[in-house]
Amino acid sequence: MGKMKIKAKLEGDIVKANVMIKHPMLTYNAAKKKGKEANFITYIVGKVGDKIVYEASTSQFLSENPLLRFKFKGAKKGDKLTITWRDLKGKTVTKSKKIK
Amino acid sequence: MNRRKFLGLGLATVVLTPVAINAIDFRKEKPDVWKAQSVDEAISALYGDKKLQDSDKVKIKARKVASNGGVIPITVKTDIDAKSVALLQDVNPESAVIVWTVPEDGIVDYNVKIKMKDSGKVIVVVEGKDGKLYSASKEMEVALGGCEG
Repeated sequence: MGKMKIKAKLEGDIVKANVMIKHPMLTYNAAKKKGKEANFITYIVGKVGDKIVYEASTSQFLSENPLLRFKFKGAKKGDKLTITWRDLKGKTVTKSKKIK
Repeated sequence: MNRRKFLGLGLATVVLTPVAINAIDFRKEKPDVWKAQSVDEAISALYGDKKLQDSDKVKIKARKVASNGGVIPITVKTDIDAKSVALLQDVNPESAVIVWTVPEDGIVDYNVKIKMKDSGKVIVVVEGKDGKLYSASKEMEVALGGCEG
């Protein structure tokens, strides 16, 4: 758990980003059945430098291993897109990837 | 204040403010949103008593029939100058799925995969910078529920 794959590609002046996070996204109900504790991603933020380019507060109803796609402007090739997420248990993971 | 106390205070501040990654974390700012069991409750927890207006500028793209309710891709798009965008549905135990905060000069063209335990409606609410709430909804057929109860 906790692996993350980032792809970011500049097309024209728009960056198209794909973020895949490996996470069980275990809902309260599913956790109860399995006798485990619920855990899911609650917050995701994407930055280029200090600038926020993506931000989402999330619930248990994202799919397992959530995939997020989004677009943003104002970055150039070689800039780094940094994604940070946090889950219900407080685990935080950050990863960066150069924009192609 | 002696030096030891001063250092202690400094340490306490550091502990109290863990890495500030968030601009707006809706789970912290508006915890009731995530407990709301109906769409209306969730929307009023998010945006207060403001009225929604249906808008064809809010676009939801999804396949009409989802074969697997555990992985339903949904695209949300709008040209409206937006502050935030909320995606909700009316079949899971709670309604809110995801709330995006739209960054400065942000493009609202979001794709996400969600879970739905049954056929039902997905609702998108766009909070415009003009303070108004624009919404659209889409009926979804889910062949195999994906929420595990």
